[in-house]
Amino acid sequence: MDTFKLYIRSIGMLLKGHLQYPASFVMQTVAQLVMEGGEMLAVILLVDRFERVNEWTGGDLFFFFGMMSVSFYITEFFGRGVTGDFPSMVRTGKLDTLLLRPRTIFVQVLCSGTDPRRITCIAVGVAALAVGSRMSGVVWTFAKVLALVESVCMSCMLILGLFLIEAVFCIHSVKSVELVNALTYGGRSACQYPIDIYPRPLRILFSVAAPFALTMHVPAAWILGKPLYGWPAWTTFVTPLSGAVVFALMVLIFNRGMKFYRSTGS
Amino acid sequence: MRGYFSVFRMRLRMELQYRGAMIGGILCQMFFGIVLVALYRALYAGKPQALPIEAVTTYVWLQQAFFRMLVSTDPDLLDKIRSGNISYDLCRPVNIYWFYYSRIAAQKLMGSLMRGIPMLVFAFLLPKGWGLSLPASAPGLLLGLLALIFGFLCMCALENISMGFTMRTLDPRGIQGMLGLLMMTFSGNLLPLTLFPDSWQKVITVLPYAQLMDAPIRLYSGIYAPQEAPRILAVQIVWTFVLITAGICLWNANKKRLIVQGG
Repeated sequence: MDTFKLYIRSIGMLLKGHLQYPASFVMQTVAQLVMEGGEMLAVILLVDRFERVNEWTGGDLFFFFGMMSVSFYITEFFGRGVTGDFPSMVRTGKLDTLLLRPRTIFVQVLCSGTDPRRITCIAVGVAALAVGSRMSGVVWTFAKVLALVESVCMSCMLILGLFLIEAVFCIHSVKSVELVNALTYGGRSACQYPIDIYPRPLRILFSVAAPFALTMHVPAAWILGKPLYGWPAWTTFVTPLSGAVVFALMVLIFNRGMKFYRSTGS
Repeated sequence: MRGYFSVFRMRLRMELQYRGAMIGGILCQMFFGIVLVALYRALYAGKPQALPIEAVTTYVWLQQAFFRMLVSTDPDLLDKIRSGNISYDLCRPVNIYWFYYSRIAAQKLMGSLMRGIPMLVFAFLLPKGWGLSLPASAPGLLLGLLALIFGFLCMCALENISMGFTMRTLDPRGIQGMLGLLMMTFSGNLLPLTLFPDSWQKVITVLPYAQLMDAPIRLYSGIYAPQEAPRILAVQIVWTFVLITAGICLWNANKKRLIVQGG
Protein backbone atom coordinates (compact mmCIF):
# COMPACT_ATOMS: atom_id res chain seq x y z
CA MET A 1 0.00 0.00 0.00
CA ASP A 2 2.93 2.20 0.81
CA THR A 3 4.20 1.73 -2.75
CA PHE A 4 0.87 2.71 -4.17
CA LYS A 5 0.85 5.93 -2.13
CA LEU A 6 4.33 6.68 -3.35
CA TYR A 7 3.22 6.21 -6.95
CA ILE A 8 0.24 8.54 -6.53
CA ARG A 9 2.49 11.17 -4.95
CA SER A 10 5.10 11.02 -7.71
CA ILE A 11 2.51 11.19 -10.43
CA GLY A 12 0.88 14.13 -8.68
CA MET A 13 4.19 15.95 -8.52
CA LEU A 14 5.00 15.21 -12.16
CA LEU A 15 1.58 16.50 -13.18
CA LYS A 16 2.23 19.73 -11.36
CA GLY A 17 5.54 19.96 -13.18
CA HIS A 18 3.88 19.50 -16.55
CA LEU A 19 1.37 22.23 -15.75
CA GLN A 20 4.09 24.77 -15.03
CA TYR A 21 4.14 25.64 -18.73
CA PRO A 22 0.43 25.99 -19.43
CA ALA A 23 0.68 27.38 -22.97
CA SER A 24 2.99 24.62 -24.14
CA PHE A 25 0.87 22.04 -22.34
CA VAL A 26 -2.35 23.22 -23.99
CA MET A 27 -0.75 23.26 -27.44
CA GLN A 28 0.62 19.77 -27.06
CA THR A 29 -2.68 18.50 -25.73
CA VAL A 30 -4.47 19.95 -28.73
CA ALA A 31 -1.86 18.37 -31.01
CA GLN A 32 -2.64 15.02 -29.40
CA LEU A 33 -6.33 15.64 -30.02
CA VAL A 34 -5.64 16.29 -33.70
CA MET A 35 -3.55 13.13 -33.90
CA GLU A 36 -6.14 10.83 -32.36
CA GLY A 37 -8.86 12.70 -34.24
CA GLY A 38 -7.00 11.86 -37.44
CA GLU A 39 -6.96 8.16 -36.54
CA MET A 40 -10.66 8.35 -35.77
CA LEU A 41 -11.27 10.15 -39.06
CA ALA A 42 -9.64 7.26 -40.91
CA VAL A 43 -12.08 4.82 -39.30
CA ILE A 44 -15.04 7.10 -40.03
CA LEU A 45 -14.03 7.43 -43.68
CA LEU A 46 -13.56 3.68 -44.02
CA VAL A 47 -16.98 3.05 -42.51
CA ASP A 48 -18.42 5.69 -44.82
CA ARG A 49 -17.03 3.89 -47.85
CA PHE A 50 -17.34 0.23 -46.88
CA GLU A 51 -20.21 0.35 -44.33
CA ARG A 52 -19.17 -2.91 -42.66
CA VAL A 53 -16.56 -5.61 -42.54
CA ASN A 54 -17.75 -9.21 -42.20
CA GLU A 55 -20.40 -9.18 -39.45
CA TRP A 56 -19.16 -5.94 -37.87
CA THR A 57 -21.20 -2.81 -38.51
CA GLY A 58 -19.86 0.75 -38.37
CA GLY A 59 -20.92 1.12 -34.74
CA ASP A 60 -19.04 -2.05 -33.80
CA LEU A 61 -15.91 -0.77 -35.49
CA PHE A 62 -16.08 2.51 -33.55
CA PHE A 63 -16.51 0.51 -30.37
CA PHE A 64 -13.38 -1.56 -31.07
CA PHE A 65 -11.46 1.60 -31.94
CA GLY A 66 -12.58 3.20 -28.68
CA MET A 67 -11.50 0.18 -26.62
CA MET A 68 -8.02 0.35 -28.08
CA SER A 69 -7.63 4.13 -27.72
CA VAL A 70 -8.79 4.15 -24.13
CA SER A 71 -6.58 1.25 -23.06
CA PHE A 72 -3.51 2.31 -24.97
CA TYR A 73 -3.54 5.92 -23.88
CA ILE A 74 -4.41 5.23 -20.25
CA THR A 75 -1.28 3.09 -20.27
CA GLU A 76 0.76 5.90 -21.82
CA PHE A 77 -0.74 8.41 -19.38
CA PHE A 78 0.14 6.48 -16.24
CA GLY A 79 3.02 4.34 -17.42
CA ARG A 80 5.10 6.82 -19.39
CA GLY A 81 8.17 5.76 -17.41
CA VAL A 82 7.96 2.33 -19.01
CA THR A 83 6.43 3.20 -22.37
CA GLY A 84 8.62 6.15 -23.23
CA ASP A 85 11.41 7.19 -20.93
CA PHE A 86 13.16 3.95 -20.11
CA PRO A 87 15.55 3.68 -23.10
CA SER A 88 16.89 7.16 -22.46
CA MET A 89 17.29 6.36 -18.76
CA VAL A 90 19.53 3.44 -19.70
CA ARG A 91 21.46 5.38 -22.32
CA THR A 92 22.18 8.37 -20.12
CA GLY A 93 22.92 6.31 -17.02
CA LYS A 94 20.08 7.93 -15.11
CA LEU A 95 18.95 4.48 -14.13
CA ASP A 96 21.95 4.18 -11.79
CA THR A 97 20.43 6.60 -9.31
CA LEU A 98 17.40 4.35 -9.00
CA LEU A 99 19.59 1.47 -7.91
CA LEU A 100 20.48 3.33 -4.72
CA ARG A 101 16.95 3.79 -3.47
CA PRO A 102 15.05 1.34 -1.26
CA ARG A 103 12.33 0.47 -3.77
CA THR A 104 12.24 -1.97 -6.67
CA ILE A 105 13.45 -0.61 -9.99
CA PHE A 106 10.17 -1.36 -11.69
CA VAL A 107 8.17 0.74 -9.24
CA GLN A 108 10.61 3.61 -9.52
CA VAL A 109 10.57 3.54 -13.29
CA LEU A 110 6.80 3.58 -13.22
CA CYS A 111 6.90 6.52 -10.80
CA SER A 112 9.30 8.47 -12.96
CA GLY A 113 7.02 9.50 -15.79
CA THR A 114 3.53 10.49 -16.78
CA ASP A 115 2.15 11.88 -19.98
CA PRO A 116 -0.93 13.99 -19.18
CA ARG A 117 -1.18 15.23 -22.78
CA ARG A 118 -2.76 11.88 -23.61
CA ILE A 119 -5.93 12.96 -21.84
CA THR A 120 -7.39 14.17 -25.12
CA CYS A 121 -6.63 10.84 -26.80
CA ILE A 122 -8.47 9.08 -24.00
CA ALA A 123 -11.36 11.51 -24.52
CA VAL A 124 -11.53 10.63 -28.23
CA GLY A 125 -11.54 6.96 -27.27
CA VAL A 126 -14.38 7.45 -24.80
CA ALA A 127 -16.34 9.36 -27.42
CA ALA A 128 -15.80 6.52 -29.90
CA LEU A 129 -16.98 4.00 -27.29
CA ALA A 130 -20.10 6.05 -26.59
CA VAL A 131 -20.95 6.59 -30.26
CA GLY A 132 -20.18 2.97 -31.09
CA SER A 133 -22.34 1.49 -28.36
CA ARG A 134 -25.18 3.87 -29.29
CA MET A 135 -25.01 2.97 -32.97
CA SER A 136 -24.83 -0.74 -32.26
CA GLY A 137 -27.71 -0.48 -29.77
CA VAL A 138 -25.85 -1.97 -26.81
CA VAL A 139 -28.07 -2.38 -23.74
CA TRP A 140 -25.73 -1.81 -20.80
CA THR A 141 -26.10 -4.22 -17.89
CA PHE A 142 -23.96 -4.53 -14.79
CA ALA A 143 -22.18 -7.55 -16.24
CA LYS A 144 -21.33 -5.65 -19.43
CA VAL A 145 -19.93 -2.67 -17.52
CA LEU A 146 -17.87 -5.09 -15.45
CA ALA A 147 -16.60 -6.79 -18.62
CA LEU A 148 -15.63 -3.42 -20.11
CA VAL A 149 -13.76 -2.32 -16.99
CA GLU A 150 -11.97 -5.64 -16.67
CA SER A 151 -11.06 -5.59 -20.34
CA VAL A 152 -9.59 -2.08 -20.19
CA CYS A 153 -7.60 -2.85 -17.02
CA MET A 154 -6.22 -6.10 -18.41
CA SER A 155 -5.40 -4.51 -21.76
CA CYS A 156 -3.45 -1.80 -19.96
CA MET A 157 -1.45 -4.47 -18.13
CA LEU A 158 -0.84 -6.28 -21.40
CA ILE A 159 0.41 -3.11 -23.09
CA LEU A 160 2.69 -2.32 -20.16
CA GLY A 161 3.97 -5.89 -20.37
CA LEU A 162 4.73 -5.52 -24.08
CA PHE A 163 6.62 -2.28 -23.49
CA LEU A 164 8.63 -4.12 -20.83
CA ILE A 165 9.92 -6.40 -23.59
CA GLU A 166 11.53 -3.36 -25.15
CA ALA A 167 12.90 -2.35 -21.75
CA VAL A 168 14.50 -5.78 -21.27
CA PHE A 169 16.12 -5.58 -24.71
CA CYS A 170 17.27 -2.13 -23.85
CA ILE A 171 19.03 -3.26 -20.68
CA HIS A 172 21.08 -5.64 -22.79
CA SER A 173 21.72 -3.60 -25.90
CA VAL A 174 21.53 0.00 -24.56
CA LYS A 175 19.98 1.14 -27.81
CA SER A 176 16.20 1.06 -28.01
CA VAL A 177 14.95 -1.65 -30.31
CA GLU A 178 12.57 -0.36 -32.92
CA LEU A 179 11.50 -3.85 -33.89
CA VAL A 180 9.52 -4.32 -30.68
CA ASN A 181 7.30 -1.49 -31.92
CA ALA A 182 5.76 -4.06 -34.23
CA LEU A 183 4.12 -5.62 -31.18
CA THR A 184 3.24 -2.45 -29.29
CA TYR A 185 2.34 0.21 -31.86
CA GLY A 186 1.72 -2.44 -34.51
CA GLY A 187 -0.63 -4.15 -32.08
CA ARG A 188 -2.44 -0.90 -31.55
CA SER A 189 -2.89 -0.29 -35.28
CA ALA A 190 -3.92 -3.84 -36.04
CA CYS A 191 -6.15 -4.53 -33.06
CA GLN A 192 -8.23 -1.40 -33.26
CA TYR A 193 -10.15 -3.57 -35.70
CA PRO A 194 -11.65 -6.92 -34.63
CA ILE A 195 -9.20 -9.79 -34.86
CA ASP A 196 -11.29 -12.13 -37.01
CA ILE A 197 -10.91 -10.00 -40.13
CA TYR A 198 -7.20 -10.83 -40.31
CA PRO A 199 -5.53 -13.88 -41.86
CA ARG A 200 -4.44 -16.68 -39.59
CA PRO A 201 -0.78 -15.75 -38.92
CA LEU A 202 -1.76 -12.30 -37.67
CA ARG A 203 -4.57 -13.79 -35.61
CA ILE A 204 -2.16 -16.19 -33.94
CA LEU A 205 0.33 -13.40 -33.27
CA PHE A 206 -2.26 -11.22 -31.59
CA SER A 207 -3.90 -14.06 -29.67
CA VAL A 208 -0.78 -15.80 -28.37
CA ALA A 209 2.30 -13.57 -28.46
CA ALA A 210 0.52 -10.28 -27.80
CA PRO A 211 -2.98 -11.38 -26.80
CA PHE A 212 -4.91 -8.22 -27.61
CA ALA A 213 -7.61 -10.48 -29.03
CA LEU A 214 -8.09 -12.13 -25.64
CA THR A 215 -8.00 -9.03 -23.46
CA MET A 216 -9.92 -6.77 -25.78
CA HIS A 217 -11.80 -8.40 -28.62
CA VAL A 218 -13.42 -11.31 -26.77
CA PRO A 219 -15.11 -9.03 -24.20
CA ALA A 220 -15.88 -6.30 -26.74
CA ALA A 221 -17.54 -8.77 -29.09
CA TRP A 222 -19.58 -10.17 -26.22
CA ILE A 223 -20.68 -6.67 -25.14
CA LEU A 224 -21.77 -6.01 -28.72
CA GLY A 225 -23.81 -9.22 -28.62
CA LYS A 226 -21.75 -11.02 -31.29
CA PRO A 227 -19.47 -13.36 -29.31
CA LEU A 228 -16.14 -13.89 -31.05
CA TYR A 229 -15.94 -17.38 -32.64
CA GLY A 230 -19.27 -18.06 -30.82
CA TRP A 231 -17.45 -18.62 -27.54
CA PRO A 232 -19.64 -18.92 -24.38
CA ALA A 233 -20.19 -15.95 -22.06
CA TRP A 234 -17.84 -17.06 -19.29
CA THR A 235 -14.83 -16.72 -21.60
CA THR A 236 -15.46 -12.95 -21.60
CA PHE A 237 -14.34 -12.80 -18.00
CA VAL A 238 -11.57 -15.39 -18.16
CA THR A 239 -9.59 -14.68 -21.34
CA PRO A 240 -8.70 -11.05 -20.45
CA LEU A 241 -6.72 -12.39 -17.49
CA SER A 242 -4.04 -13.27 -20.04
CA GLY A 243 -3.10 -9.57 -19.83
CA ALA A 244 -2.20 -9.97 -16.18
CA VAL A 245 -0.26 -13.15 -17.00
CA VAL A 246 1.83 -11.39 -19.65
CA PHE A 247 2.42 -8.49 -17.27
CA ALA A 248 3.50 -10.70 -14.36
CA LEU A 249 5.78 -12.69 -16.62
CA MET A 250 7.42 -9.60 -18.05
CA VAL A 251 7.94 -8.00 -14.62
CA LEU A 252 9.67 -11.22 -13.57
CA ILE A 253 11.89 -11.20 -16.65
CA PHE A 254 12.56 -7.49 -16.21
CA ASN A 255 13.72 -8.02 -12.64
CA ARG A 256 15.98 -10.86 -13.74
CA GLY A 257 17.25 -8.72 -16.60
CA MET A 258 18.19 -5.94 -14.22
CA LYS A 259 20.75 -8.30 -12.65
CA PHE A 260 22.69 -8.04 -15.90
CA TYR A 261 22.43 -4.27 -16.07
CA ARG A 262 25.77 -2.60 -16.69
CA SER A 263 25.81 1.12 -16.43
CA THR A 264 26.87 3.17 -19.40
CA GLY A 265 28.53 5.61 -17.02
CA SER A 266 27.75 9.24 -17.37
CA MET B 1 26.74 25.78 -55.03
CA ARG B 2 29.63 23.50 -54.10
CA GLY B 3 29.13 24.30 -50.45
CA TYR B 4 25.54 23.14 -50.48
CA PHE B 5 26.53 20.03 -52.33
CA SER B 6 29.13 19.07 -49.74
CA VAL B 7 26.64 19.58 -46.89
CA PHE B 8 24.37 17.25 -48.80
CA ARG B 9 27.15 14.67 -49.20
CA MET B 10 28.18 14.80 -45.56
CA ARG B 11 24.65 14.21 -44.35
CA LEU B 12 24.32 11.29 -46.77
CA ARG B 13 27.30 9.64 -45.11
CA MET B 14 25.93 10.26 -41.65
CA GLU B 15 22.66 8.61 -42.53
CA LEU B 16 24.56 5.51 -43.62
CA GLN B 17 25.98 5.08 -40.11
CA TYR B 18 22.87 3.69 -38.45
CA ARG B 19 22.44 0.40 -40.22
CA GLY B 20 21.19 -1.62 -37.26
CA ALA B 21 18.39 0.80 -36.53
CA MET B 22 17.60 0.79 -40.22
CA ILE B 23 17.05 -2.98 -40.43
CA GLY B 24 14.76 -2.87 -37.41
CA GLY B 25 12.91 0.03 -38.96
CA ILE B 26 12.45 -1.79 -42.25
CA LEU B 27 11.07 -4.92 -40.61
CA CYS B 28 8.73 -2.79 -38.54
CA GLN B 29 7.54 -0.90 -41.61
CA MET B 30 6.94 -4.17 -43.48
CA PHE B 31 4.83 -5.40 -40.62
CA PHE B 32 2.74 -2.25 -40.63
CA GLY B 33 2.31 -2.63 -44.38
CA ILE B 34 1.08 -6.20 -44.06
CA VAL B 35 -1.40 -5.25 -41.35
CA LEU B 36 -2.79 -2.42 -43.47
CA VAL B 37 -3.07 -4.59 -46.57
CA ALA B 38 -4.85 -7.29 -44.56
CA LEU B 39 -7.31 -4.69 -43.28
CA TYR B 40 -8.10 -3.29 -46.72
CA ARG B 41 -8.46 -6.79 -48.13
CA ALA B 42 -11.02 -7.62 -45.46
CA LEU B 43 -12.92 -4.41 -46.22
CA TYR B 44 -12.80 -5.11 -49.95
CA ALA B 45 -14.07 -8.66 -49.48
CA GLY B 46 -17.31 -7.22 -48.09
CA LYS B 47 -17.82 -4.45 -50.60
CA PRO B 48 -15.60 -4.31 -53.69
CA GLN B 49 -14.92 -0.83 -55.01
CA ALA B 50 -14.42 0.66 -58.46
CA LEU B 51 -10.71 0.88 -57.73
CA PRO B 52 -9.20 -2.66 -57.72
CA ILE B 53 -7.58 -3.96 -54.53
CA GLU B 54 -4.21 -4.21 -56.33
CA ALA B 55 -4.18 -0.42 -56.70
CA VAL B 56 -4.82 -0.03 -52.96
CA THR B 57 -2.08 -2.47 -51.93
CA THR B 58 0.35 -0.78 -54.33
CA TYR B 59 -0.58 2.53 -52.75
CA VAL B 60 0.04 1.17 -49.26
CA TRP B 61 3.44 -0.30 -50.12
CA LEU B 62 4.72 2.79 -51.91
CA GLN B 63 3.62 4.92 -48.97
CA GLN B 64 5.34 2.58 -46.52
CA ALA B 65 8.49 2.39 -48.61
CA PHE B 66 8.90 6.16 -48.76
CA PHE B 67 7.76 6.75 -45.20
CA ARG B 68 11.14 8.20 -44.27
CA MET B 69 10.71 10.88 -46.88
CA LEU B 70 7.63 12.14 -45.10
CA VAL B 71 8.70 11.67 -41.52
CA SER B 72 12.28 12.22 -40.53
CA THR B 73 13.39 14.31 -37.65
CA ASP B 74 16.75 15.97 -37.42
CA PRO B 75 17.42 16.17 -33.68
CA ASP B 76 20.79 17.91 -34.24
CA LEU B 77 19.15 20.76 -36.05
CA LEU B 78 16.46 21.11 -33.38
CA ASP B 79 19.18 21.13 -30.74
CA LYS B 80 21.04 23.84 -32.60
CA ILE B 81 17.92 25.98 -32.64
CA ARG B 82 17.18 25.42 -28.98
CA SER B 83 20.72 25.89 -27.72
CA GLY B 84 21.47 28.90 -29.90
CA ASN B 85 24.30 27.13 -31.72
CA ILE B 86 22.46 28.04 -34.88
CA SER B 87 24.35 31.32 -34.68
CA TYR B 88 27.47 29.48 -35.87
CA ASP B 89 25.63 28.43 -38.98
CA LEU B 90 24.49 32.00 -39.53
CA CYS B 91 28.13 33.10 -39.57
CA ARG B 92 28.88 30.86 -42.52
CA PRO B 93 29.11 32.53 -45.90
CA VAL B 94 26.13 30.61 -47.23
CA ASN B 95 22.44 31.22 -47.61
CA ILE B 96 20.94 29.69 -44.50
CA TYR B 97 17.80 28.54 -46.26
CA TRP B 98 19.61 26.51 -48.90
CA PHE B 99 22.15 25.32 -46.35
CA TYR B 100 19.40 23.65 -44.34
CA TYR B 101 17.51 22.66 -47.45
CA SER B 102 20.49 20.56 -48.62
CA ARG B 103 20.82 19.05 -45.17
CA ILE B 104 17.15 18.07 -45.02
CA ALA B 105 17.23 16.78 -48.59
CA ALA B 106 20.18 14.50 -47.87
CA GLN B 107 18.56 13.04 -44.80
CA LYS B 108 15.28 12.39 -46.55
CA LEU B 109 16.85 11.01 -49.70
CA MET B 110 19.19 8.59 -47.97
CA GLY B 111 16.61 7.56 -45.37
CA SER B 112 14.03 6.75 -47.98
CA LEU B 113 16.43 5.05 -50.41
CA MET B 114 18.00 2.82 -47.77
CA ARG B 115 14.67 1.76 -46.40
CA GLY B 116 12.64 2.09 -49.57
CA ILE B 117 14.57 -0.23 -51.89
CA PRO B 118 14.51 -3.33 -49.65
CA MET B 119 10.85 -2.66 -48.90
CA LEU B 120 9.96 -2.38 -52.58
CA VAL B 121 11.77 -5.64 -53.35
CA PHE B 122 9.93 -7.35 -50.50
CA ALA B 123 6.58 -5.96 -51.64
CA PHE B 124 7.17 -7.13 -55.22
CA LEU B 125 7.74 -10.67 -53.97
CA LEU B 126 4.43 -10.85 -52.14
CA PRO B 127 1.61 -12.71 -53.92
CA LYS B 128 -0.76 -10.80 -56.20
CA GLY B 129 -3.40 -8.88 -54.31
CA TRP B 130 -1.04 -8.51 -51.33
CA GLY B 131 2.00 -6.81 -52.75
CA LEU B 132 3.15 -4.14 -55.10
CA SER B 133 1.94 -4.39 -58.69
CA LEU B 134 3.96 -3.39 -61.71
CA PRO B 135 3.42 0.14 -63.01
CA ALA B 136 0.45 0.61 -65.29
CA SER B 137 2.66 1.54 -68.25
CA ALA B 138 6.20 2.62 -69.05
CA PRO B 139 5.23 6.32 -69.38
CA GLY B 140 3.34 5.94 -66.10
CA LEU B 141 6.50 4.77 -64.37
CA LEU B 142 8.64 7.57 -65.83
CA LEU B 143 6.07 10.26 -65.09
CA GLY B 144 5.61 8.84 -61.61
CA LEU B 145 9.35 9.09 -60.99
CA LEU B 146 9.39 12.65 -62.29
CA ALA B 147 6.46 13.51 -60.03
CA LEU B 148 8.28 11.88 -57.13
CA ILE B 149 11.20 14.25 -57.64
CA PHE B 150 8.90 17.26 -57.44
CA GLY B 151 7.16 15.71 -54.47
CA PHE B 152 10.54 15.34 -52.82
CA LEU B 153 11.38 19.01 -53.43
CA CYS B 154 8.00 20.03 -51.98
CA MET B 155 8.58 17.82 -48.99
CA CYS B 156 11.96 19.36 -48.17
CA ALA B 157 10.46 22.84 -48.54
CA LEU B 158 7.65 21.93 -46.13
CA GLU B 159 10.14 20.57 -43.62
CA ASN B 160 12.19 23.74 -43.86
CA ILE B 161 9.09 25.85 -43.19
CA SER B 162 8.41 23.73 -40.13
CA MET B 163 12.02 24.34 -39.00
CA GLY B 164 11.49 28.06 -39.54
CA PHE B 165 8.49 27.93 -37.23
CA THR B 166 10.57 26.08 -34.67
CA MET B 167 12.99 29.02 -34.72
CA ARG B 168 10.09 31.18 -33.54
CA THR B 169 8.50 28.94 -30.94
CA LEU B 170 11.62 26.99 -29.87
CA ASP B 171 9.40 24.03 -29.09
CA PRO B 172 8.88 21.63 -31.99
CA ARG B 173 5.98 19.79 -30.41
CA GLY B 174 3.08 22.23 -30.60
CA ILE B 175 2.20 23.78 -33.92
CA GLN B 176 4.78 21.76 -35.88
CA GLY B 177 3.39 18.58 -34.41
CA MET B 178 0.04 19.59 -35.78
CA LEU B 179 1.48 20.40 -39.21
CA GLY B 180 3.05 16.94 -39.20
CA LEU B 181 -0.27 15.32 -38.43
CA LEU B 182 -2.05 17.24 -41.15
CA MET B 183 0.60 15.88 -43.45
CA MET B 184 0.15 12.28 -42.31
CA THR B 185 -3.59 12.54 -42.95
CA PHE B 186 -3.62 14.45 -46.23
CA SER B 187 -0.58 12.85 -47.82
CA GLY B 188 -2.38 9.52 -47.80
CA ASN B 189 -0.13 7.84 -45.26
CA LEU B 190 -2.84 7.23 -42.67
CA LEU B 191 -5.43 6.21 -45.24
CA PRO B 192 -4.92 6.15 -49.04
CA LEU B 193 -6.32 9.38 -50.47
CA THR B 194 -8.06 7.23 -53.07
CA LEU B 195 -10.26 5.84 -50.28
CA PHE B 196 -11.35 9.28 -49.08
CA PRO B 197 -14.93 10.16 -50.08
CA ASP B 198 -15.22 10.84 -53.80
CA SER B 199 -16.68 14.28 -53.15
CA TRP B 200 -13.47 15.30 -51.31
CA GLN B 201 -11.11 14.24 -54.09
CA LYS B 202 -11.21 17.55 -55.99
CA VAL B 203 -10.03 19.50 -52.95
CA ILE B 204 -7.59 17.10 -51.31
CA THR B 205 -5.68 16.35 -54.49
CA VAL B 206 -4.68 19.99 -55.00
CA LEU B 207 -3.47 20.50 -51.40
CA PRO B 208 0.31 20.60 -51.11
CA TYR B 209 0.27 17.38 -49.09
CA ALA B 210 -1.15 15.42 -52.01
CA GLN B 211 1.81 16.45 -54.17
CA LEU B 212 4.31 14.57 -51.99
CA MET B 213 3.39 10.94 -52.46
CA ASP B 214 -0.17 10.78 -53.73
CA ALA B 215 0.42 12.30 -57.17
CA PRO B 216 3.45 10.09 -57.97
CA ILE B 217 1.63 6.97 -56.78
CA ARG B 218 -1.45 7.72 -58.85
CA LEU B 219 0.67 8.24 -61.95
CA TYR B 220 2.54 5.01 -61.26
CA SER B 221 -0.57 2.90 -60.85
CA GLY B 222 -2.41 4.51 -63.74
CA ILE B 223 -5.17 6.15 -61.70
CA TYR B 224 -4.02 9.33 -63.43
CA ALA B 225 -3.58 8.58 -67.12
CA PRO B 226 -0.29 9.76 -68.67
CA GLN B 227 -2.27 12.35 -70.69
CA GLU B 228 -3.20 14.07 -67.43
CA ALA B 229 0.44 14.30 -66.39
CA PRO B 230 1.12 17.87 -67.59
CA ARG B 231 -1.67 19.19 -65.36
CA ILE B 232 -0.48 17.16 -62.34
CA LEU B 233 3.14 18.18 -62.81
CA ALA B 234 2.14 21.82 -63.24
CA VAL B 235 0.32 21.76 -59.89
CA GLN B 236 3.39 20.21 -58.30
CA ILE B 237 5.75 22.78 -59.78
CA VAL B 238 3.54 25.64 -58.61
CA TRP B 239 3.48 24.25 -55.07
CA THR B 240 7.25 23.70 -55.09
CA PHE B 241 7.78 27.36 -55.97
CA VAL B 242 5.20 28.61 -53.47
CA LEU B 243 6.57 26.53 -50.62
CA ILE B 244 10.20 27.41 -51.30
CA THR B 245 9.37 31.12 -51.58
CA ALA B 246 7.36 30.99 -48.37
CA GLY B 247 10.26 29.24 -46.66
CA ILE B 248 12.80 31.79 -47.83
CA CYS B 249 10.58 34.65 -46.62
CA LEU B 250 10.13 32.96 -43.27
CA TRP B 251 13.87 32.43 -42.80
CA ASN B 252 14.66 35.99 -43.87
CA ALA B 253 12.16 37.28 -41.33
CA ASN B 254 13.68 34.98 -38.72
CA LYS B 255 17.14 36.36 -39.36
CA LYS B 256 15.92 39.88 -38.62
CA ARG B 257 14.37 39.02 -35.29
CA LEU B 258 17.07 36.64 -34.11
CA ILE B 259 18.43 37.25 -30.64
CA VAL B 260 21.19 34.97 -29.44
CA GLN B 261 21.07 34.55 -25.71
CA GLY B 262 24.75 34.65 -24.87
CA GLY B 263 26.44 31.49 -23.73
